[in-house]
Amino acid sequence: MREYLNQIIAIVRKDFLTEMKTRELFSSMFVFAVLVIIIFIFTVDLSITRSNEVGPGVMWVAIFFSGAIGLNRSFMLEKENGCMQGLLLTPADRTAIYFGKLISNLGFLTLMEAFILPVFMVFFNIDLLPHFFPLLLVIFLGTLGFCAIGTLLASLAANLKTRDIMLPILLYPLMVPIAIASVRMTGKILAGEPLSEMLNWMGLVLCFDIIFTGTAVMTIDHILEE
Amino acid sequence: MAEENSSKEISSSPGGLFWLTAGTMLAALIAIYLWVPTEKNEGIVQRIMYFHIPCAWLAFFAFFIVFVSSILFLWKKEREWDIYAHCSAEIGVVFCSLVLVTGPIWARPIWGVWWVWDARLTSTLVLWLIYIAYLMLRGQTEAESTRARYAAVVGIVGFLDIPLIHFSVLWWRTFHPKPKVISAEGLGQGMDPSMLATLCISLAAFTLLYCLLMGRRVALERTKDEIDRLKREKLYSS
Repeated sequence: MREYLNQIIAIVRKDFLTEMKTRELFSSMFVFAVLVIIIFIFTVDLSITRSNEVGPGVMWVAIFFSGAIGLNRSFMLEKENGCMQGLLLTPADRTAIYFGKLISNLGFLTLMEAFILPVFMVFFNIDLLPHFFPLLLVIFLGTLGFCAIGTLLASLAANLKTRDIMLPILLYPLMVPIAIASVRMTGKILAGEPLSEMLNWMGLVLCFDIIFTGTAVMTIDHILEE
Repeated sequence: MAEENSSKEISSSPGGLFWLTAGTMLAALIAIYLWVPTEKNEGIVQRIMYFHIPCAWLAFFAFFIVFVSSILFLWKKEREWDIYAHCSAEIGVVFCSLVLVTGPIWARPIWGVWWVWDARLTSTLVLWLIYIAYLMLRGQTEAESTRARYAAVVGIVGFLDIPLIHFSVLWWRTFHPKPKVISAEGLGQGMDPSMLATLCISLAAFTLLYCLLMGRRVALERTKDEIDRLKREKLYSS
C-alpha cells in the first residue's frame, strides 16, 4: 500500500516539476478560460439576461473547455520523447499511473479554477464570497468527475492520430450529466439555496465520480498496454 | 469453422430468417397502413409511432449488445466479441438516427414544434452522439488490437453513462415547468387493442430485422478478416 502511494506521488511530483519548468499547461489553460468567458460576455447581452442565470453556465463551459486542453496536453507530454513508454516500463501498477495522472490533472485544473473564479466574479459582478464553501465543494466534485473520465479518455486518445479532436468528441457527450448537475448546483448556490436543497444533484455527481473512477480502474489495464 | 460458415452464408440465397423477416415486415406494413384505425386526436401522423417506438427499442437493444460484447471482449480477448460490438454499434446508430428523424416529423404537427428539450429526446440525442464518437474512434485507430480494446472501453463507459444522462436531463427539465403536451408516457396507456397488436407486430418485425442485419454484418466482417488473412498469406509466401 505504501509503495503504491509512493508510485502515485512520484508521478504527480514528476508532472508538477515539468509544469514548474515549462509553465506551458497552466498559462495556456488560464488564458483560454479567460477568453471563453470574454467571448461569452460579448455574445450574451448581460443587460438583458440576469448574470446569475448565465454566469454558472459560462463559468463551467470555460472550465470544461480549458480542462480538455489540459487533459490533451498532459498526455501529449507523455507521448513526446517516449515518456509513456518509460512510465510503462517502471514496475508501477497501471492503476497507479492512472491515479497519478488523475491527481495531477485535478491539481492543474483546480489551480486554474482558483485563478478563474476571481475573474468570473469581477466580470459578472457576482459576489461569490457568501457562498464560498458550498461552491468549493460543488466545483471540486464536478472537476473530479470531469478529470476521472477525462483522464481515462485522454490516455486512450493520446495514441490516436487525431487526438486533439477525438478527445472532446468522446469526452463531451459522456460528461453531459456532470455538466448539467454542476451548472444547476452552482446556479442554486448563487441564488442562495442551501446544499440540502440539491441532494439529488449531489448524489448524481457522486455516483458519476464513483462509477467512472471505478470503470477507469478496471479498464485502464487494457488501454495502457503496449 | 466459423469462417467456413460465413462464406457459405454469403454465397447462398437468402435464408429462412430473411423470409421470416420479410413476411413479418409485410404483415406490419399491412397492419400499420390498412388495418389499424386512425387515431382520433392526432390523425394520420400518429401512424409514425409504429416505426418510432420499434426503432427506439432496437437502438437501445443494439447499444446493450455493444456493452455486453465489450465486456466479454475485454474478458476473453476474442476477435468474435469485437465484431459483435462493432456491428451492433453500427446498427444501433442507424436506428437511433431513425428515431431522431421520425420524432420531429411526428412532433411538428402534434406539439407544434420540431424539437423540445424533453428528457427523452435529449437523452436519445446524447446517446446518439456517444455512439457516433464510438464509431469515429474505431475509424481513427489503426492497429487492430488497440482499436478493439479502446472501442470496448468506450462501449462500456458509454452504456454506464445512460442512466446518469437520463436522470440529469430529467431533473434538468422537471425543475422548469413545461407545457403539458409532453407526455410521451401517455402513448402506451389506454391504447386500442388493435393498435397495441400493430405495435407488437412492428416490434417483432424490427427485432427480426436487427437479427438479420446483424447476421449479414457479422458475416461481412468475417469475410473481411478472411480476405486480410489470405492477402497476408499470399504476400509472405510469394
